[in-house]
Amino acid sequence: MFNQLTRPFRYKKIPLPTVTTSEQRTNGKVKSKPKDWKSTIKRIWSYLSVHKIYFFLVVLMIVLSSMLSLLGPFLVGMAIDEFIVHHNVSGLLQLLIFLLFIYIFYSLSIWLQNFWMVGIAQKTVYAIRMQLFKQLQKLPISYLDKRQHGELMSRLTNDMENVSTTLNSSVIQIFSSILMFIGIIAVMIYLSPLLTLITVAVVPLMVIGMKWITRRTSLFFKEQQKHLGEVNGYIEETIAGQKIIKAFSKEEHVVSTFMGKSESLKGAGFWAQTYSGFIPKLMNVLNNLSFALIAGIGAILAFNNMITIGVIVIFAEYSRQFTRPLNDLANQFNTLLSAVAGAERVFEVMDEEEERDAHDAHDLPEVRGDVTFEDVSFSYEKNQTTISNVSFTITEGETVALIGPTGAGKTTIINLLTKFYEPVSGVISIDGQNIKNIKNESLRRHLGFVLQDTHLFQGTIRENIRYGRLEASDDEVEEAAKQANAHTFISSLPNGYDTVLDQDGSGISQGQKQLLSISRVMLANPSLLILDEATSSIDTITEIKIQEALQRLMKGRTSFVIAHRLNTVKQADQILVLKNGQLFEKGNHEALIKKKGYYYEMCQRS
Amino acid sequence: MLTVLQFLKPYKLPVAIALILMLIELFVELFHPFLLAKIIDDGIMQEDVSVIIRWGSLMVVLSLFAFVAGVVNSFYAAHVSQSSGFDIRSGLYRKVQLFSFSQLQKFEASSLITRLTNDVTQVQNTIFMSLRIMLRAPLLIVGGALMALFINVKLALILIVAIPIIMLFLIWMMKKGGALFSRVQAKLDRVNHVMRENLTAMRLVKVYVRYKHENKRFKKSNKALMDQTVSALRLMEVAMPALLFLMNVGIMAILWFGSFEVNSGGAQVGEVVAIVNYATRITSALSVFSMIIIVFSRFKASAERISDVLQEGDEPKSEAEISPVVKGSLEFKGVTFTYPNKKTEVLKDVSFKVAEGEVLAILGATGSGKSTLFQLIPKLYEPSDGEIVVDNFNIEGMNSNQLRQQIGYVPQEVFLFSGTIKENIQWGNGEASMNEIIEAAKAAQIHDLIDELPDRYETRIGQKGVNLSGGQKQRLSIARALVRKPAFLLLDDCTSALDVKTEQRFLEALKHYSCTTLIITQKISSAKKADNIILLDEGEIVGKGHHDQLKEKSELYQLILRSQQREEAFQDV
Repeated sequence: MFNQLTRPFRYKKIPLPTVTTSEQRTNGKVKSKPKDWKSTIKRIWSYLSVHKIYFFLVVLMIVLSSMLSLLGPFLVGMAIDEFIVHHNVSGLLQLLIFLLFIYIFYSLSIWLQNFWMVGIAQKTVYAIRMQLFKQLQKLPISYLDKRQHGELMSRLTNDMENVSTTLNSSVIQIFSSILMFIGIIAVMIYLSPLLTLITVAVVPLMVIGMKWITRRTSLFFKEQQKHLGEVNGYIEETIAGQKIIKAFSKEEHVVSTFMGKSESLKGAGFWAQTYSGFIPKLMNVLNNLSFALIAGIGAILAFNNMITIGVIVIFAEYSRQFTRPLNDLANQFNTLLSAVAGAERVFEVMDEEEERDAHDAHDLPEVRGDVTFEDVSFSYEKNQTTISNVSFTITEGETVALIGPTGAGKTTIINLLTKFYEPVSGVISIDGQNIKNIKNESLRRHLGFVLQDTHLFQGTIRENIRYGRLEASDDEVEEAAKQANAHTFISSLPNGYDTVLDQDGSGISQGQKQLLSISRVMLANPSLLILDEATSSIDTITEIKIQEALQRLMKGRTSFVIAHRLNTVKQADQILVLKNGQLFEKGNHEALIKKKGYYYEMCQRS
Repeated sequence: MLTVLQFLKPYKLPVAIALILMLIELFVELFHPFLLAKIIDDGIMQEDVSVIIRWGSLMVVLSLFAFVAGVVNSFYAAHVSQSSGFDIRSGLYRKVQLFSFSQLQKFEASSLITRLTNDVTQVQNTIFMSLRIMLRAPLLIVGGALMALFINVKLALILIVAIPIIMLFLIWMMKKGGALFSRVQAKLDRVNHVMRENLTAMRLVKVYVRYKHENKRFKKSNKALMDQTVSALRLMEVAMPALLFLMNVGIMAILWFGSFEVNSGGAQVGEVVAIVNYATRITSALSVFSMIIIVFSRFKASAERISDVLQEGDEPKSEAEISPVVKGSLEFKGVTFTYPNKKTEVLKDVSFKVAEGEVLAILGATGSGKSTLFQLIPKLYEPSDGEIVVDNFNIEGMNSNQLRQQIGYVPQEVFLFSGTIKENIQWGNGEASMNEIIEAAKAAQIHDLIDELPDRYETRIGQKGVNLSGGQKQRLSIARALVRKPAFLLLDDCTSALDVKTEQRFLEALKHYSCTTLIITQKISSAKKADNIILLDEGEIVGKGHHDQLKEKSELYQLILRSQQREEAFQDV
């Protein structure tokens, strides 16, 4: 019991940065932060400002509602002073009718401002999401390879949600708060400058208190967001790897790791919430204090006939309405904090350098299929060469087999040819043109891929094949499937081409997935072909079908094959033997056998 | 929703304290207009300054008192929400970990993730808000009405009439909102799903230059989300203006009747002022309601989605009374299997035996049920008929944890975790020493490669081991299984990306591990070395025996053999 009572006060403190003096602030992250915020907010505004007309209408309604809400208490005070203290029924009736209209318009204006704002906010969020998604398509593969999908997803989902919620409510709140604040002060000064002074006396207290709190909350929120990202990343990863976790009965292990991460999140979250909770409390106390002051001092003033009771009533009401905007602002500040932080992370992704073409890059209308590598070197990470000084020439229509031990650099050659990565040095050219100067898109349009992991999208088989050429007709899709030997198995499915594939195509077998993937390339009809032979996971019968289909596919096209089968290798016009990132031997089967080198040895040994 | 609220149980005391503190604050706030009435009626009207000063200072003292209460409340509220949020997240996560495979299939991975992340956060924030401010609004309405009654019954009745109407209206909105926001959530899931799919397939998207197509796909779901959100929010936003209007009409009524009461001596001016003040306080509390409705209906939707997961039955656990020391013999007795909610039998009456330390190769076409057969051994799925016997014990009665401890499973699709290479291997056996890790890595033919890396075993690999090639990943995943020193080793065609020399060396190294090994393979060359081979076709065993026997008897085996014969000289490179 005692433990339960004291627990809230025993959370581990998060140390505040000691940087406080203004001099120190200039040289550190502390200073750069608000600057970023400003530009982030500006950027959000640039989205909002697209809907200027509606935005203007919203602001107009806010002005209207603020004015009307000021008028309300004023009239009520008047009613008490003029018509209740001095009983006057007809005057009261007139005033009440007037009041009724004010209330009607008040409600109407509030409804309208929200109605329009929801539209603007959601359109904005839609636009940001859309742009973010488009940006994702433009990011280089290396960016995606380096990042945890979970962390990236958290930006796309959580952070976007944060922005969305804030835009829905905060914008209106902030605007109306400011307007109300100004309006109330003006009316108060008109009624009684002295009482106004007393009411406003609490503002410096508020500013000091707010500064103290927000300095802490912004730090704690950042901390919280960091831990949240970690927890989410872990969730994502372990759910994807669920099968392995089960088979190894590591449930307890991952649960306990998760608990650890979750615990840190709890710690950070506690402080963020506690401190952010102080803000309304501070507002409340100031609210109550100013109410007490107005009641006490106002009464003494009324006592001396300097003001009327009605004025006290109006002030009592205004004093709350006056701190309420500030209160709302403070409340909104929290959501705003996390939303701006979220938006910042979203914009970070948008600002990532896109996969870019060289500025004088041109299109490649047609490709014959000559490929040259000249002294190409590459490494994924610094101080580590993946391939070095690789040179070879392939002529149109040739089949090239890439062989060598795992990790020798076969995949890397493909990654470079597709411009997923750029070589550190050396030149790769197609039809005599340096691919550096060819637009990525244009280059890739001529490439066809049969990758090891065949990725299928949620959707029908037909849609998945058509991914190769979107404008293809149903007949063309079926023709491609026939060519790829996939037609038979597709037709045997109850729904044929309209069979819906589950997530990751789990409804069909690995070999069938390959056949679909080949159909897709068949339909795309590329000039250059890249095959990653992953055929050994497929049974021999299907395998023969795949081989047949591939033969058909490769005919007349320059093809790069990461080969595992002697047949493929033997038939290749050129064999590139890679070892430790170097092009160890090249030539056709006969030549290499004659050479009695590494390749010969490989053949002998197996 | 109740399931989720159960999580608050352990925090009854802090919840109670937080609520009491909030009530104190509320009381102070509600007491103020009452004191104001006193000041007007007893002070100004009676011309008594001491009364004004007395009540005025009381107001100041009370305000400060309320502040202290409020600050302490923050601590308790944050504690309760963070702790219960932690408990929910942990409970949910644990639950998902305990799911059987068939249960996992009920939920899409992306939806499970949203439940664990967004939904928990939503619930947690709602709890915090409730303890801190949200309950305040309804309590303020009730309290304000009570105080008004206390001051002047007749005038207060106007307020009392308005309240039930407000409540009914709010309840209706809450219901409607809950339904609308769960639809919003479904659309949000869809958006996230498209995004995730796109991220995983990025290479494909790039090669096919399909970003426009992808954008279109995304646009569709994004637009649906927008439309749904707009219509939900717009309905919600009707609530506040309507309620405000209702309350304002109430204020007008108080003024109207108040004027007669004052005239007839039934009420004093201060009382009218106080009641109007209560009415305006209630009105401003209402403005919080549209937010409360939104938050609560989201809360409800989230809570339900969490409950869905929590209320799933546990994986059937039959704890064995005896926990056998597994030696390593395995027998399938007439095993038939159908995936949950599917009709076709994936395995039909499969029977075979593997003696301790033997190697069994399984061959068969894709879709013939090989991988499924493997998944039955660690009890990832239960057979629909027949039994699987390990060391003379039916595994149905075995503790699945203990059974799985004895199994080294290498699935066809490699999955590595983000972290270092060492961590990934050690993942197979938390207690493994560095020597054991190296030993496993050597056997898996990956040690030399690791040794060449700048950070060696401390080299970090990405979420899906991006900077490693497919073959390297496979070998790491083999090392992970070997480091367990398992009694059973299940290799699901995991040497596909290995070149032939590496594979041969690996199979050689395996001999030093005294484990019963089951290999799914396509290569006759690998199968040849096994003690026994079974041949699966459409879920049935169509051939059993070792290489030479099958070569004689089985037509299918001959067919496979012929198809690979020409490669026999070279096999894979």
